[in-house]
Amino acid sequence: MNVFDEVKKALRKVNPGLDDNKMVSGALLKDDLDIDSLDLVEVAMTLEDVFSLTLQEDEVDNIKTVGDIVSLIEARLKVRSA
Amino acid sequence: MLNRVVVAGYGAITPLGLNADDTWRNLVDGVSGVGYISLFDTTDFKVKIGAEVKDFDPIDYFDAMTARHTDRFAQFALAASLQAIESAGLKIDGNNRYDVGILVGSGVGGLDSVAKQLETLSARGPSRVSPYLVPMMIADSASAQVSIKTGIRGPNFSLISACATGTDVIGMAYKMIKWGEVKVMVVGGADAAVTPIGLAGFAQAGALSRNSEPQKASRPFDRERDGFVVGEGGAALILESLDCARSRGANILAEVVGYGATSDAFHVTAPLENGEAAARAIELALAEVDRDEVGYINAHGTSTPLNDASETRAIKKAFGDKAYKIPVSSIKSMLGHMMGAAGTIEAITCCQVINKGIIPPTINLEHPDPECDLDYVPNAARAGDVRIALSNSFGFGGHNSVIAISRYNGQ
Repeated sequence: MNVFDEVKKALRKVNPGLDDNKMVSGALLKDDLDIDSLDLVEVAMTLEDVFSLTLQEDEVDNIKTVGDIVSLIEARLKVRSA
Repeated sequence: MLNRVVVAGYGAITPLGLNADDTWRNLVDGVSGVGYISLFDTTDFKVKIGAEVKDFDPIDYFDAMTARHTDRFAQFALAASLQAIESAGLKIDGNNRYDVGILVGSGVGGLDSVAKQLETLSARGPSRVSPYLVPMMIADSASAQVSIKTGIRGPNFSLISACATGTDVIGMAYKMIKWGEVKVMVVGGADAAVTPIGLAGFAQAGALSRNSEPQKASRPFDRERDGFVVGEGGAALILESLDCARSRGANILAEVVGYGATSDAFHVTAPLENGEAAARAIELALAEVDRDEVGYINAHGTSTPLNDASETRAIKKAFGDKAYKIPVSSIKSMLGHMMGAAGTIEAITCCQVINKGIIPPTINLEHPDPECDLDYVPNAARAGDVRIALSNSFGFGGHNSVIAISRYNGQ
């Protein structure tokens, strides 16, 4: 499963109008994608289900960009496979 | 000096149309919006009928993200409010955004959102409850969305008085404008109670019709009436001070000339049988107008045995013998009971009656009831030159609210 693709899917579930080209690694969730703190909670819930993991609140609170979400998930998956 | 208050526009999403004009045409034609419920499976339910809004797609009115994060009741409210603002030719900009307020009410709010998230809570635990639950379920979410979507920054709140909500929002906004607290108000009512928990709750309270013929079930003032039909929808009006409406060249549709509100101090669901407090609300609404000019009463007329009899007594108590000469009709016979939106669509109907010279009927009135002996405009619309119309709304808990709407005399 490609983490970046799943993150984009989760973002689009929250904001169905999101343009694929805008969801780049450096895109700011709030300013570039109109994803607010409530939306981010839902994105995190979706990704927890997809990847069968539990994210901590402070981990989610620190997320600013699309890339931050991808890195967080990848780091957690790496720990699990190690 | 107190301001006069006029109606400058309206909008509606109802079981008989996705705007006020279509709804009106169907009301005049005596069309029933009641049918078997399609929104969910009613296999286990004693009551299987409702008045659903058909073919409503929120994307036709606002963006997909808003649609996803709002309960159906707030979607109805927002769509109707946007229609009302457009029909009033009201442009919100940096110069007037603090002069315009919003008061949109709902009887049961985001009932379906709560029910669905309770299922999630039970099945999957608290960490899977939607972060949108609270902003979707709170009854003022509709009022808030109207502000967010339009940029309106004046006073903004909600109001709840069960099935009288849709009339009380108009009455309160009328007072605010009259006393000069705000120049323009977007007022509305909305509910989406055709949900499993809504249907079950009202059915268990014994309030709903068990009639197996959907289009015959809502039969206000008929001897065989046996309860109301749950409806849904949203309606909104633009109320405005006469000065403000004139200064911007608005098309003035009618004038609000009175509001009366009382309570029964009696029971959580049943009305006070002798109609005393309801009659007082009517009298208060008529305090500043000549009651001989009242040419139409839009009844609360729910089709429950108790309401229709006590409402008839209230009208007779307020008007005496003249009550027999005033046409009274219940459009709930066609729309079902739109709950928090009922009073609002009924006020719009009063404006239409005044301007179009037609009185919509009470359909399904086939068996006269000796306790209901007024002129209910049975089964067919009729012409009527109405100068002042009253709209009655009564709610669970004993809320009695009445507004008086007058033809605008151009002065």
